[in-house]
Amino acid sequence: MHIRPFQEFKKDKIGVAGLVIILFLFTTAILAPVIAPHDPWDYSAPSFQPPSKEHLLGTNDIGYDIASELLWALRTSILFGIAVAAITCTIGLVLGVSAALIGGTYDMIVMRLADALLAIPTIMVLILIAAYFKPSTTVLIIALSLVMWQTTARGVRAQTLSLKSKLHVKAAKNMGAPTSYIMYKHIMPELFPLYAMGFVTKARIAVFMEAGLSFLGIFDPTTKSLGIMMSYAMRYLYLDVWFNWLLPPVIALSLLIISLGLISYAIEEIFDPRLRRNNATPI
Amino acid sequence: MVVAYLLTIFILLFLNFLLPRLLPGDAIIAMYSGHEMVMTEEMYAELIRMHGLDLPLHEQFFMYLSELAHGDLGYSYICHASTADLIMGALPWTLLLVGTSFILSAVAGIVLGVESSWRRGGRFDRSLLTFMLLLDGIPSLALGITALTVFCLHFGWFPSAGAMTPYSGAEGIGHIRDVLWHLVLPLATLTLSMIPGDYLLIRNSMMLTIREPYVLTARAKGIRERRIKYLHAARNAILPFATRIGIRIAYIITGALFIETIFAYPGLGLLTYHAISNRDLPLMQGILTVSVILVLLINIVVDMMYKKIDPRVGYAY
Repeated sequence: MHIRPFQEFKKDKIGVAGLVIILFLFTTAILAPVIAPHDPWDYSAPSFQPPSKEHLLGTNDIGYDIASELLWALRTSILFGIAVAAITCTIGLVLGVSAALIGGTYDMIVMRLADALLAIPTIMVLILIAAYFKPSTTVLIIALSLVMWQTTARGVRAQTLSLKSKLHVKAAKNMGAPTSYIMYKHIMPELFPLYAMGFVTKARIAVFMEAGLSFLGIFDPTTKSLGIMMSYAMRYLYLDVWFNWLLPPVIALSLLIISLGLISYAIEEIFDPRLRRNNATPI
Repeated sequence: MVVAYLLTIFILLFLNFLLPRLLPGDAIIAMYSGHEMVMTEEMYAELIRMHGLDLPLHEQFFMYLSELAHGDLGYSYICHASTADLIMGALPWTLLLVGTSFILSAVAGIVLGVESSWRRGGRFDRSLLTFMLLLDGIPSLALGITALTVFCLHFGWFPSAGAMTPYSGAEGIGHIRDVLWHLVLPLATLTLSMIPGDYLLIRNSMMLTIREPYVLTARAKGIRERRIKYLHAARNAILPFATRIGIRIAYIITGALFIETIFAYPGLGLLTYHAISNRDLPLMQGILTVSVILVLLINIVVDMMYKKIDPRVGYAY
């Protein structure tokens, strides 16, 4: 591959903007235990306090500090993003590569299963599973990963199939290289754009799903989550709490998803130079 | 594709039929434990008989299938109504919202994507692309909540709940206006959340189509620009969009779930929300069944239509 991804990325304003936002959110989330002014699981002031020096975003219906809650909720979102993306990409990679290499009935079953998962509104499935199992964070992360691997697996399989017939892979094979060596040395590295893209896209969906599912009320209510914050704030809208209680989680969630979207767009442009904005060929 | 559809049905049956029966403990308790009701001995026996839990597993399965075929989706003890009736009451509103939004967002996404790619690198393209990337990042959840607080609660321009004014007694034009007035905000937010995906897909696919030799040929023949843009280039650039209609439908249903909940719009989404808050599992299972069957039917129709849109697919058979 004759693309230097990091140099290209640095030139891309959209991608850099996304990266700056995500790094900022990431640092805040990691430092949450240090910088959060109060314990978000403990009563710290009377209910419905307006923003003040002591409580930057005021307090909620049971007297918890909203700013601290927000920091911890951001942590949950980012944890979901990273964990689900990592598991999904691994499942997708293993199933995609093995389907392409083994072929036959196995290939057919895996791919049709992927098609089936694409067609189902998976959120309904997650809701039903959650209703039965009353999910903890771990269970929800696994459940989300189990219904999200399909696009990665399809992409990886298609790419592996086309790589398998490339000359350099055939040459290696004729020289007597074992399949595992070919996999590791020739196929895996060339799939890099797919992991990079897949990781960011999946993280984005996972963050959205976590907020959405907890907004609908299927997540453990003691966990700090952007969705739970929104759903509680919505119940007290008549008290004019929207600017200090509802808006912050909405903005945090949007910023997180926007930044991931910008990064994924930049990655797509880097690895598919035909899409670049600046090399407009005149017709 | 047939195998994929069968697998989908299998997943559905697994979730609705096998899961409650495979769980450790009592299936009746698992399904009805959330219901705030006193479970009497007779009721328990009645439920066992209704679900056929005293029969062997394969007979239970046939019983479940025959009930499904008769349109019997179970009974919700919380709403004291048959699940099928509840769903049929909500379905028209969801179809109205999702159908209109799907068409509007597809048209807007295609037109904007084509125009944007035609002027790629220009100021129009750059600003539209940035705007769409930002809009794409704002999840439907956030978009809906913002619209609700600003337009319903702050300005009071639109109603904040329902699909029509109850007991208004309006008929004819007045009734239609009332329904539309309630539809505006949910429709606008759902459509806005769908447009960026369509736009980015069409724009990318147009960027590749524009380089095709036949576009150059059309230009050399002196065909008018609008004709080349829409009849030569866009017609081909739309193909990836057409293959993704099924996926987009599943996606828009997810969006509708949140939008309906936020605006208390009485469709399937709000019904799902109520089912979750009441832990009404029979109702959830019914909604899952109906939505999966709906999406499957749409997929089958799209598959058949695809041969018309891209005749090359038809030749392959």
